Amino acid sequence: MNAIRRTLLAAALGSLLGVAGAENKFDYCLLCHGAAANGNAGIRAPKLAGMEPWYLTRQLENFAAGIRGTPGDDGSGHEMGPVGLRVKQEGTLADAVTFVGGLPPVRPVVTIAGDAKHGKQLYAACASCHGVKGAGNAQLQAPALAARSDWYLVTQLKNFQAGLRGADERDTYGAQMRAVVTSLPDEKAIADVVAYINTL
Amino acid sequence: MQSKVSRRDFLQLAGAVGGSNAVYRAAMGLGLVPTVAVVKPNVAPLRKPRKVLVLGAGISGLTAAYELNKKGYEVQILEASFRAGGRNMTVRNGDRIDETGYPQVCNFDKDPDLYFNCGPARIPGHHVNLLGYCKELGVELEPFINDNRNAWVQDDAMFDGKPIRAREYMSDSRGFVAELLSKSMKPDQFAAPMTKDDYERLREYVKYLGTLDPNFKYVGTSNAGLATHDFTSPEVLKTPLDGRELLKSQFMAIMNFGETDDQAAMMMEPVGGMDRVPAGFLRQIGHLVQYHSQVQRIRVLDKGGVEVTYRRDGEYTTVRADYVLNCIPMHLLAGIEHNFPKEQAAGFLAVPRGKLFKIGLQMKERFWEKEGIYGGISWTTQNIQQIWYPAHGIHRQKGVVLAAYTFDPNSGEKFARLAPADRIKLAIEQGSKIHPNYGDYVETGVTVAWHQMNHMLGCAAQWDEPLFAKWFKTLQKPAGSHYLMGDQVSYHPGWQEGAIASAHHAIADIDAREHAGQAVSA
Repeated sequence: MNAIRRTLLAAALGSLLGVAGAENKFDYCLLCHGAAANGNAGIRAPKLAGMEPWYLTRQLENFAAGIRGTPGDDGSGHEMGPVGLRVKQEGTLADAVTFVGGLPPVRPVVTIAGDAKHGKQLYAACASCHGVKGAGNAQLQAPALAARSDWYLVTQLKNFQAGLRGADERDTYGAQMRAVVTSLPDEKAIADVVAYINTL
Repeated sequence: MQSKVSRRDFLQLAGAVGGSNAVYRAAMGLGLVPTVAVVKPNVAPLRKPRKVLVLGAGISGLTAAYELNKKGYEVQILEASFRAGGRNMTVRNGDRIDETGYPQVCNFDKDPDLYFNCGPARIPGHHVNLLGYCKELGVELEPFINDNRNAWVQDDAMFDGKPIRAREYMSDSRGFVAELLSKSMKPDQFAAPMTKDDYERLREYVKYLGTLDPNFKYVGTSNAGLATHDFTSPEVLKTPLDGRELLKSQFMAIMNFGETDDQAAMMMEPVGGMDRVPAGFLRQIGHLVQYHSQVQRIRVLDKGGVEVTYRRDGEYTTVRADYVLNCIPMHLLAGIEHNFPKEQAAGFLAVPRGKLFKIGLQMKERFWEKEGIYGGISWTTQNIQQIWYPAHGIHRQKGVVLAAYTFDPNSGEKFARLAPADRIKLAIEQGSKIHPNYGDYVETGVTVAWHQMNHMLGCAAQWDEPLFAKWFKTLQKPAGSHYLMGDQVSYHPGWQEGAIASAHHAIADIDAREHAGQAVSA
């Protein structure tokens, strides 16, 4: 068996513990974002499976350019900053998007409780770009919202409000979001609208 | 009529007749003196073939695989990364540091003394299981110097941030406190059983505690170090430092570090790096490890056994085993597809992941030895918290210094958010408050942010008493024939001994099941 030979060789060299060999490319994506990149709420890594390639690309570019995920960013966003930079520098950004975007999505569990009826009214402001069914609109560069990690939607809405996202002048679409989130006056409104998105 | 003799009475009696040696021997007979010995579970040889899948080639996984393999179990280890050892990781020239966003390569010179233990780095004398494996696997050990009174203490809160020797802090603060105590202690403050003689003995004790003079005054002590070391003229003591100034420093909380159970002499380290421990296991069972195999799905089967799906070179493979010993960090398990009992899965997210952080710097000269420092730790209240000096390679030209080791999660976060070069810059800036021209000696360095390392994303699980009470038993209890392992499922997280304890616990349970006729079948 090849593995045995490699291990024996490594043991013979004495100083090497591991073995060289084919890398599990992009294993670090799944490390945080979980099996098939369906998310791991425990470490605040959202579901990526099924995300639009153009949206994934833009966000990775944003992380690489420091538009998102700067050291002052929220607790988990800053961990993505260096990863965006890495795929950009290694020239693997497009491959990463193809890999992650192609994984089989699973409908995430609901973790946010809210008044979906009230959320439906609030969602009117979202629907013009993200669609009445939350399916997204590529022409408007608005990603799908349905069947995403609900806790992540809450975090991002709060980040837009707090200026942790969308405040960079290079972030054109983020700036649009910053303007729209003013229609969600408080935490309850955010929970309600996400509770409604959970029904889409 | 028979009179009852208590154990304590009996020991006093034995002492009166036979002296203290008799007391000791009598106590051994009663089982009161704890012995330090290996407590490996005695796993019986198998009666029928059993397949065991171990997830993770860290210390707990290697231990369990090594023991079960010896007894005839068919064992395979799936390891997600390119290397074994888990957080037992030593880097040398050319080694990779597999951090998710900031992968690095170690550029130390090629030299057997120029290595850095990124994870565990010391072994106390009572970690008998780990020491037992070192002996059994031929891992050569040498003394590790942990506590060094000649190293520095630096705190911006005292003496305007000027560093002082640890021995000065400890001796002068104790002298200051002991003198005040002896002045203020009065016989009538103590409860009745304290006789006048008892009180006098207490004063004597306080005198020795603070190295006070015969008049119970603290006038300095050679414990704090001499002013000069010219041994052709009379010794000159250093002038004691102002006690009130010393008490401004939070070093008081760390002062007894070198006396704690796990940190007191005698400490040891493997010759050539801590990863000689996993290397020792691999010499025996290296052929059982399959690398680059990232687990994606675990299903505990109703009819017994466990099914595991892993990803390797982009391919997905599913294997079935009679038992699964799972060493994957709990916070990562939360992102894997599984069917564990709900109450157990909730525990995966209950215990926070550790954010410990380390930096190792190769120094072109062992400048600390010119300061009279050979091994040990300097302490600072800055983010870097510690500077360790290597106990190996003494008087050689170069050495690798540990330039930061943060326990506090905020400091770990602060460093981790920076790019490696900036982390090193910050460590040099802070270290310069302890060693002048510190940065001039730095040739190259490595940074290890455990909570951003691939396949880890965390250091030791941050248990506390309420968490232990609420979750430990639930997490330790097997789900069918699936066992959670690692230092994360021990009362000694962050230590290899804890990892081994968890492995021994699991394999003892498997052994009991196999030999109680409750075996599961695949």
